[in-house]
Amino acid sequence: MRIIDVHGHWGPWPFHMDVGDARLNLELMDRYGIEAQIVSASEAVVLDAEAGNAALADVLAANPRLYGYAVVNPRRLERAADEVRGYLASGRFVGVKIHTTYARAPIGSPQMAEAFDLVDELGVPLLLHTWGADVALLPELLAARPRLRVIVGHAGGDAWREAAHAAAACDRLYLEHCRTVPDAGRVAYARAAGVPIERFLFGTDSTLIDPCVALGVVRDADFSDEERERVLWRNAVDLFGPLG
Amino acid sequence: MSADWLTRTADEHIALDVDVLFGPWPSGPADLGLDDVRRRLRRSAIRRACAVSTRGALFDAAAGNAETLRAADETLVPVGTVDLRDAVAAGDLLDGLVEQGVRFVRLFTQEQGAEPGHPGHRHVVAEAVARGLVLLHDGDPRAFGPVLAGRGAEVVFLDLHVYLLADFLLLARDEPGFRATTRLLSAPDAIERVAGTVGADRLLFGSRTPFMDVSPQTLRLRYARITPDERRLIAGGTAARLLGREG
Repeated sequence: MRIIDVHGHWGPWPFHMDVGDARLNLELMDRYGIEAQIVSASEAVVLDAEAGNAALADVLAANPRLYGYAVVNPRRLERAADEVRGYLASGRFVGVKIHTTYARAPIGSPQMAEAFDLVDELGVPLLLHTWGADVALLPELLAARPRLRVIVGHAGGDAWREAAHAAAACDRLYLEHCRTVPDAGRVAYARAAGVPIERFLFGTDSTLIDPCVALGVVRDADFSDEERERVLWRNAVDLFGPLG
Repeated sequence: MSADWLTRTADEHIALDVDVLFGPWPSGPADLGLDDVRRRLRRSAIRRACAVSTRGALFDAAAGNAETLRAADETLVPVGTVDLRDAVAAGDLLDGLVEQGVRFVRLFTQEQGAEPGHPGHRHVVAEAVARGLVLLHDGDPRAFGPVLAGRGAEVVFLDLHVYLLADFLLLARDEPGFRATTRLLSAPDAIERVAGTVGADRLLFGSRTPFMDVSPQTLRLRYARITPDERRLIAGGTAARLLGREG
């Protein structure tokens, strides 16, 4: 069974853990049978997008099973367009990641509106960290940006119900459920709300979170074999292309 | 490449789960009665569970305790509770639980709006510790840990998030009775760090069935780089010892 992880990270975190080496990404991928992983640099997410993206480019060059998200800080958009275009042209970066919390730029903020415009223009998938009820704003924001396709990272976190209804209302929203707190019933709720199987993606938050946490959610979701394949890799290939 | 994770193995079997609830939960997607909870435990290969009625957590501690005791059998170990909003008579309630053989008392500070230093919380903790009861404690260990320290208390923190691990280890170093569940220790090295510093006997399996998916938690335990003996302690050995039911 193929597995493509669309929500990974490379690099250390400011918590009591030692997970910053790319060798750990690969060790965990091997342990669970994950073929490819799309990662963003933790430094780019938490501190300095430009420096983190540059460091990740070197890591991707040495690790062909890892692909990259170029992180965009919605508060530092001046140079982001040129920078991200350069990374995407390399072929090793395949999308954009935006973390709304560290930049303190909620989904409905003016900064995020400009960032959405940029990713819409770039035409690549956006992995968006979502955590809260503002995830419900996404269908309206995407309606004005026809090329924008958004992976709803963490499926809204605590606001997983709101995320499910948002995804049911917009066919360019993809739910990805990785999270430390594995609330029961999230996948079933989203399916009952009308999100088709084609818009669930598999992500782990590895190496911040062990991939087995997200795999456990997949196991408990009781997918059919065909549905599980869609979630674990086919939907990712449909969104990103063959990755490899 | 391996898809072994899809099939549950014996390394995921749980002898005793310390965090299980049953009954109505108005903010949840559905109310989950005993039958459904038992079905979920069976499906997850959880042999026995320390369970508490939600009635006691949210509405009526005495009635909830009675409901919990009625549900007890060879698979469900009763957990008592005291309402922190009505702590004056906690002693009598705890005496009744002790007479019934209850060893674990669960506190619901979040649902009941109790914070560290609140008189009701302080009183209930003192009464429980005086009776030698084990506290199953929700909330942030950084905030409640210092309040619970220095009493010789046996405490199992039920909400230890991996981001708070360093604070827990600092607390546990000085408090031999402080333990935590593995539910939110999601990092690839979190369980291993606890086992390698303060010891695996400081961790217990607590799934929060029926509110959480269980496979993410059992898989983390299965793949943790710990010894089989350490895994057995976490999967129920230490909980059984705290209950006074070795093995």
